[in-house]
Amino acid sequence: MLLDLLIFLPLVGALAVGFTPRGAVSLQRGIALLTTLVVAVLSLVVWGSHDLASLAVDKAWFTLPGSQIDVGYRLGVDGISLLMVVLTGVLMPIVILSTFGHITERVKEFMIWVLVMQMGMMGVFLATDLVLFYFFWEIGLVPLYFMVGIWGGKRRLYATLKFFLYTFAGSVVMLIAAIALVYKAQSTDIAAITDSMAALGVSDTIWLFAAFTLAFAIKVPVLPFHTWLPDAHTEAPTSGSVILAGVLLKMGTYGFLRFSIAMFPAAAVAASPYMMALGAIGIVYGAFLAMAQTDIKRLVACSSVSHLGYVVLGLFALTRVGLAGSLIQMVNHGLSTGLLFLLVGMIYERRHTRQLDQYGGIASVMPIYAIFWTIAVLSSVGLPGLNGFVGEYLILLGAFEAIPFWAVVSVTGVIFGAIYLLMATRKLLYGPVVHEANRKLTDLNLREIGLMVPVVVLIVWIGVKPSYFLDRTEASVATIVERLDQARDGMQTAQLPAVKGGESR
Amino acid sequence: MTPEALEALLHGSFAGIGAMVAVTLGILLLLLAEILPGAAKLKPVLFVATLVVAFLGELQLLGEPAGPVLGGSYIANQAAAAWGLVFLSATAVAWVFGRGYYTLEKPFQGEHDVLMLSSLLGMMLMSGAGDLITFFIGLELLSVPLYALCGFRRARNDSVEAGLKYFLLGAFGSALFLYGAALVYAGAGSVSLTTLSQVGASDSLSLIGLALIASALLFKAGVFPFHFWIPDVYQGAPTPVTTFMATGTKAAAFAFLLNMAFLLPPAAASSLAWIALLTIAIGNLGALVSRDLKRMLALSGVAHAGILLLAVVSYLKSGDVELAEESAIYYMAAYVFSAGGAFGLLALLESKGDEATTLDSIKGLGSRRPGIAAAMTVFMLSLGGIPATGGFLGKYFVFSSLVVKADMVGVALIAILLSVIALGYYLRVIIAMWMEAETEDAAQLSEPKRLGGAAAAVCVAMVLWLGVLPDFFLGLMR
Repeated sequence: MLLDLLIFLPLVGALAVGFTPRGAVSLQRGIALLTTLVVAVLSLVVWGSHDLASLAVDKAWFTLPGSQIDVGYRLGVDGISLLMVVLTGVLMPIVILSTFGHITERVKEFMIWVLVMQMGMMGVFLATDLVLFYFFWEIGLVPLYFMVGIWGGKRRLYATLKFFLYTFAGSVVMLIAAIALVYKAQSTDIAAITDSMAALGVSDTIWLFAAFTLAFAIKVPVLPFHTWLPDAHTEAPTSGSVILAGVLLKMGTYGFLRFSIAMFPAAAVAASPYMMALGAIGIVYGAFLAMAQTDIKRLVACSSVSHLGYVVLGLFALTRVGLAGSLIQMVNHGLSTGLLFLLVGMIYERRHTRQLDQYGGIASVMPIYAIFWTIAVLSSVGLPGLNGFVGEYLILLGAFEAIPFWAVVSVTGVIFGAIYLLMATRKLLYGPVVHEANRKLTDLNLREIGLMVPVVVLIVWIGVKPSYFLDRTEASVATIVERLDQARDGMQTAQLPAVKGGESR
Repeated sequence: MTPEALEALLHGSFAGIGAMVAVTLGILLLLLAEILPGAAKLKPVLFVATLVVAFLGELQLLGEPAGPVLGGSYIANQAAAAWGLVFLSATAVAWVFGRGYYTLEKPFQGEHDVLMLSSLLGMMLMSGAGDLITFFIGLELLSVPLYALCGFRRARNDSVEAGLKYFLLGAFGSALFLYGAALVYAGAGSVSLTTLSQVGASDSLSLIGLALIASALLFKAGVFPFHFWIPDVYQGAPTPVTTFMATGTKAAAFAFLLNMAFLLPPAAASSLAWIALLTIAIGNLGALVSRDLKRMLALSGVAHAGILLLAVVSYLKSGDVELAEESAIYYMAAYVFSAGGAFGLLALLESKGDEATTLDSIKGLGSRRPGIAAAMTVFMLSLGGIPATGGFLGKYFVFSSLVVKADMVGVALIAILLSVIALGYYLRVIIAMWMEAETEDAAQLSEPKRLGGAAAAVCVAMVLWLGVLPDFFLGLMR
């Protein structure tokens, strides 16, 4: 029931907003805020619950034609999805609060789309049925398409169409693989499919792995597929960017872990060096891209490509430390990049430009803003004591265990990351106030401070006491690592034909 | 024929053809109401009552299939009944959206409705035809009224042109079919599907005949390379008629294609797969470059016919007729409500039926008529195959029959990647409605009437129902 509510309360909220009169902006905002707050509280209740398995839902949905396979309405949480569910729950009220500043037209439609978006994201993380997962996966595309297309910047139509077609192309390839997978395993239950796939070798699963991985790689995005992201981020309204960076991209990394790695361990082991390479190159390439940007929002977007490279690197290192680091880094990236996008949005609302050279000396005009910006940047570059450090450290450790070379390459990314973010900070906050328009800027108001405080609290909390968060993921990570070890053993026995009659895995 | 033989022939047949009898009676009563003074008000009631009775008849048949009736010339099985429901829905959608569409031709609405029902009768006959001759009668019963309907707005050149074009090419299609049927008869010695299934039709004469028959069916369905008439005829015909043709005719052609596909050699599967892929590609690319919405939807219909053809291909390859039929019917049911709804909305928006609805004229529709724009959005997403709509599940079922039973992963991959192109133009409609500012062309649009709005709402509800709770519909077919 709890999990049903997480998914369908936003839908109810969206319908409620739909029935309000068009001009009643405060009412629409109020409904949206209330709905997301309730969902946030419920997601914390899930976090507090000690027996996650008891929350699972399993109801009949429909039977696939021409077979006896029952597609179920199956929901559940485990260590992998738990952090994501809480992140989605907590971030959404913040997003709604942030819209009060920049969404002033067609508020009703916007609130409907934000809430539908939340339904889609929750569904993706909670679904434990493959068909249901795919359902929510694609439903999640539509709201963002509208959010960028209606409330976006100048090139919004181009950006939104590119985003949609790019991700949709990846999704349909996954659909074909999912269809084949369902019949191969004779089930749509993700756990059952995972069990039946775990024992299969590389040659049996490699193309399924490739199809799923392609879809997720586009979503994350992993290097050669990243071009839609800077466009979408730059053109999206602030709240859209926050959702995109905070949660939506995590659907891709979550998919890597849940499907590519957990479901096809043998293929993941085989592909690991290549995926790690893509991750490491992404880190460095993203950093270089970011360094070249003059538009501050685009800079953050490119830094996002770089930071997600860490997640990919850590995931495909396929070590316990790397996986744990990646899980925590998914949350970190959502918090710190989300915070950066919020801050970029706040200054854009005041000054209506995103060009770095139009700023300078903001710290003296907006001291509170400067504090928050600095925290966000330091978290992003991985200052010890803040969240970013924990994730990056664990990931690099995990990567070093697997392939030291890519860990070394990635470490340079840490340095470049510090360079471009601190350079941007200098240009933005310090130095003399050159432009007259900047002198009259007002500092953050209570709403803006209030919505960022929870994010900052989490940033510090994860940085100081990561074990509180990591502990909840441990059991699930251990299961995956076990599967990976079995797959490695299986591949070794396959390579040694002399050892016959050994264990069948 | 002695009375006893006649009785034996008809015995137990009524349950099988009840729906068709109801439609026939409806036609007669409507014609009667035409000449009776003061009965004009009754006509819409009669029309609706006919559809309702026929609908109940098909539902009854779906529950208890009667099997071959009338000496085997009509096979009243579950598939025929399910297709019947699809045809009836298509007729209902086209008719409701067409209320108030005609202005100059308003006095002739009665004839319009009679023609529509006759065509419906033809479809029903086609979907259950047990021999080639019965099928041919169905085909003609479908086509001849449609020729007239296409040219129904006789004051307009493009409508008359559409009628003439459809007639000339349609006559050609009918001739192909007849010639093919004759060759099959010459080769295999029978026109009954049951007999043919026993004796087989693999001699060269029959094979040529079958190829001709298949061509005629593909012509009606608008599959490459027989699709050239589609854009012009669909665009020129009155929009309610286009709605009817796009959904109903296509369904009827595929219904019989599936029925007779067992006669085709399995080797035909791969060539049909190529034809299907080309059809999808050509339909989508054509739709991508057209700015006229009616033409765009017409060409997108070509692409959808290609996907339906893939269901036939999977049947040929795997021999699993039930799965192919279920997925094709599901696909078509979703298509009836999404494409039917979309064409229907165009009919509502065309101002007095004079101006074409273009991408430019619907710009900003979202802020002026949010309800209409929202309905159109749902239809576009369903046609594009986004989940929570019937279009997605239809596609899922067709592709799963292709991937799983027929083991044609490559074909499925190409087809589904081609359908990404389709999303390009469906999304453009959504962009125009919600994300672009109104232009002067918007003034050409007319204000939709309340009945049309309600019809759109019903279509939206059906599309979502088909997309979220499929078990009810799947259960009907089992």
